[in-house]
Amino acid sequence: MNKPLLEINNLCVDYVSPNGIARAVNNVSLSIKPGETLGIAGESGCGKSTLAFAIARLHRAPGLIPEGEILYNGKDVLKMSDKELRDFRWNDASVVFQSAMNSLNPVITIGEQLTDVILAHKKITVKAATEKAVELLAIVGLPGDRLKSFPHQLSGGMRQRVVIAIALALEPKLIIMDEPTTALDVVVEREILNELYDLKEKFGFSILFISHDLSLMGEIADRIGVMYAGNLIEIGDAKTVFTNPSHPYTKGLISSFPTIHGPKERLYGIPGDPVNLLHLPEGCNFNPRCGDCMDICKKDEPQLIELSVDYKAACYKL
Amino acid sequence: MSFLLRRLSFYFTAFLIAISFNFLLPRMMPGDPVEAMFAAAQGKMDPAQMDAVREMYGFMDGSLFEQYISYIQSVFTLDLGPSVLMFPIDVTTVVGMSLPWTMFLALGSLIVALIIGVSIGTYASYRREGFFGQFVPPFLAFLSNFPYIVTALLLFYFFGLQLELLPLAYTYDPAIDPGFTLEFIGSVLKHAILPMGSMILVGIATWVFNMRNAMINVLGEDYVTMAEAKGLSSYRVMYRYAGRNAILPVATAIAMAIGFSFAGSIMTEVVFNYQGLGNILLKGIMARDYPLIQAILLILVSAVLTANFIADLLYVWLDPRISK
Repeated sequence: MNKPLLEINNLCVDYVSPNGIARAVNNVSLSIKPGETLGIAGESGCGKSTLAFAIARLHRAPGLIPEGEILYNGKDVLKMSDKELRDFRWNDASVVFQSAMNSLNPVITIGEQLTDVILAHKKITVKAATEKAVELLAIVGLPGDRLKSFPHQLSGGMRQRVVIAIALALEPKLIIMDEPTTALDVVVEREILNELYDLKEKFGFSILFISHDLSLMGEIADRIGVMYAGNLIEIGDAKTVFTNPSHPYTKGLISSFPTIHGPKERLYGIPGDPVNLLHLPEGCNFNPRCGDCMDICKKDEPQLIELSVDYKAACYKL
Repeated sequence: MSFLLRRLSFYFTAFLIAISFNFLLPRMMPGDPVEAMFAAAQGKMDPAQMDAVREMYGFMDGSLFEQYISYIQSVFTLDLGPSVLMFPIDVTTVVGMSLPWTMFLALGSLIVALIIGVSIGTYASYRREGFFGQFVPPFLAFLSNFPYIVTALLLFYFFGLQLELLPLAYTYDPAIDPGFTLEFIGSVLKHAILPMGSMILVGIATWVFNMRNAMINVLGEDYVTMAEAKGLSSYRVMYRYAGRNAILPVATAIAMAIGFSFAGSIMTEVVFNYQGLGNILLKGIMARDYPLIQAILLILVSAVLTANFIADLLYVWLDPRISK
């Protein structure tokens, strides 16, 4: 019964540059079950957004996928024909992009941007599509007369709501959210996340939630995956990742932000800088920054090992 | 609305400045048409005769300021006096006869070049890795580097003289009576092919490159990626989502191009003996027909300013963020 909705096997994404090939996503395997929220965390440049783009096959040159498969209900997204891909996009999986400010076209009305996706996928009249659009706006708490508005006439939060309404338009099974609330202030962020939570209860879609904000993710995600330099280094249920992480990098990430309650403490970030993907270190990618580095870490790359049911991490310490 | 009023007052000021220059320039030049006639008559005119001729042509005496006031009056009442070259026909009538042809040539070729260029530019940017994107823009850049006059002469030579496919001169066949008949319109179009064609050939590349560059900027925007992720057809993503935004900087360039198009039209008209303003202007300059020259410059200035104003309106219509 618990067949995964989306299954990614050994996915690699490369960026080809004049200085060499940078592997932004390296051998990542993961799965999302129906109705589940999977969070992917990691610092800037770790490949989490690249992963999100690759799932909808939105990567463009110089990005390419040399190997791996992305199975949606058993069908490989990477092998779909143009028509199948257009069907998959938005019917099955929709995307909420990093900044809502830029993901709406500034010179096209909200209404058109909502209805065109409905009309592109369903054989219904413009009138019916408009009614559906009003319904969608109501779902995200916006009045229907906003259909005539242009994006610049809305606030940032309203725009993000519109983007979410567009994402819900065809009631997809999977919504990929790439830092959906990064550009918003915390109050609006909170409102939107609460709404998202209700919507998820109501429609039962799965979410792939990409963010650098682990605390946010601890709340919304059922499971969390942590990426570093293109590798998935830890994945498991949100509570354990958050409270009892196994990988030294995850530990560093969690100790990088303050707790709201409790005494003031000096924060310990992660020493060093993110690695250059063109010059990866020998062995474990994290070894130059790791406090617990051993000899083997500088020779061989650790593989994900199963620590308990549905909990994996890649570190020789474990 | 206030945006339009601001633009309108800007254009009105520009117009006043332009007509003031138009007033000053001929008066700063030595001599006048009557003196030219005097020279041609080899001194067989006495001063009284010259004054009489001056009065007949409507040349003013009085201080510069008085002349200026009456000049401004004549501009706004469109009473610019008789032409020296085609006396006693009114300058306004002469200009009125040839202006439509220049407008037809300049704006027609601009619009056609714009439509073709923007379509090619959009497509070339979307397929910039392919043969089309790699080959077509450089080829058009090569074409556009011929000056109007060279392109016009080459076309004139091949299609007019060698192949004898198209008429060499005139706006329409003089044997046909002007009117709304198929025969007349056909003749006008046939006569317009070469002059318009040469201007279009030169003009297209500008729009291809304007559009292509704007498109390449826009294609990186999130909303284009989102449109693609929405599973819309690539036609819709290309024209409605990316092209719709890329056209904005292009619309600004239209305003500038209008002036160039009129200038190009003037040269092309001379090559093809097309009965537009350019042809008349050349004849006017030869005959030192100052009232005519002034009137033509005046008309060109107003035409360019009006066209610019229309381009502004176009921009407001295209970009909803402007009007508020």
